[in-house]
Amino acid sequence: MTTYIYGIAAATHPALPEGMGGIGEPERKVRVVRHGKLAAIVSDSPDDLRPKRRDLLAHQSVLDEAGAGGAVLPMRFGSLAQDDEAVVAVLAELADHYEERLNALEGKAEYNVKAAHDEQAVLHQVLAENPELRAMVEANRAAGGGSYEQKLHLGESVTAAVRAREESDSVEVRRALEPCAEAVSVGPEGTGWLANVSFLVRRDAAAGFVAAVEELRKDQPHLELTVHGPLPPYSFVDLGPAEPAEDAASVR
Amino acid sequence: MTVVPAQQTGGAGGTSGLYDVIELILDRGLVIDAFVRVSLVGIEILKIDVRVVVASVDTYLRFAEACNRLDLEAGPRKDPGLPDLVGEVTESGARGKSKGALSGAAETISDAFKQARDDGRGEEEPARPRARRSSSRSRKEEQE
Repeated sequence: MTTYIYGIAAATHPALPEGMGGIGEPERKVRVVRHGKLAAIVSDSPDDLRPKRRDLLAHQSVLDEAGAGGAVLPMRFGSLAQDDEAVVAVLAELADHYEERLNALEGKAEYNVKAAHDEQAVLHQVLAENPELRAMVEANRAAGGGSYEQKLHLGESVTAAVRAREESDSVEVRRALEPCAEAVSVGPEGTGWLANVSFLVRRDAAAGFVAAVEELRKDQPHLELTVHGPLPPYSFVDLGPAEPAEDAASVR
Repeated sequence: MTVVPAQQTGGAGGTSGLYDVIELILDRGLVIDAFVRVSLVGIEILKIDVRVVVASVDTYLRFAEACNRLDLEAGPRKDPGLPDLVGEVTESGARGKSKGALSGAAETISDAFKQARDDGRGEEEPARPRARRSSSRSRKEEQE
């Protein structure tokens, strides 16, 4: 029977979600595997585990529950060990590192911020700032919409202006929220947003962070901001001075 | 058992929250070499690496059209109720609305998670998502 690992916490964590329903159908019960000062939050794993919505939610829910009571290092979804002994071995091997990370993340949570442009608003902005673009729009309109080439030319110019705006706004989002965070992790670009940034925020400073988001919303009405948090600190598990330099790829 | 790629549920109402943080769950978090990871085949499309505004003829034409429809005299936050702006409900407009609704819950977010969890356990304790029991997500799979 393989063991699924949700996360790692201190053995002294006061409220690990033992007995809670985890991944699988039927739900596998969450167990705790302890070794020394550390505890791994685990459950059995179904043989055919797949990244289904229900299982992703279960992973997140277990970590959310555990994170509410104390620091947890969230595993990436889908980590499997051969058995509980293999989990113990890992806890033993990297104990110092995990303890350092847990200390560093105690009382902190991740807030993920995604920003996108309100298209109408950002078009207004780039046109207002750029008389040449505006002239092109007027010319096209006067020509009943403009020829295919004219449209293409206008569209290309506008796209470039919007792109530039996305880049500067991405910097602005980070600049505005960084002061309220302990650490920042920039996520991958993707369709649908111009900034995807995670902030590590002290739980006792969360209200200030949320207020800063509101402030940014007010200052930059052309930005649509989506905030998710408090989340387990997915983006911050590997940072820190005690990060081991060992790297499978470079060793071999 | 059908495996529904997660992104297919991403656009629908309450699950958009899962979509928004799915890359955290799948792509970040601790990785330990000694452990195996389950195959993520089927949801790899989620690893999006497209630029934000994709430079393409389609984009150019779309922006050109949008500019032509724009009321240049109005401010960027013109009352959306005015008729000349609302010739059509654009995709971005619709998206904006749902985002606005979501982002209002910044403080406790993962609203979608909580809602999804609540969905799973029917009417019990909807206001206390942390007090969940082990038998909670019993009905969710019907949606999958």
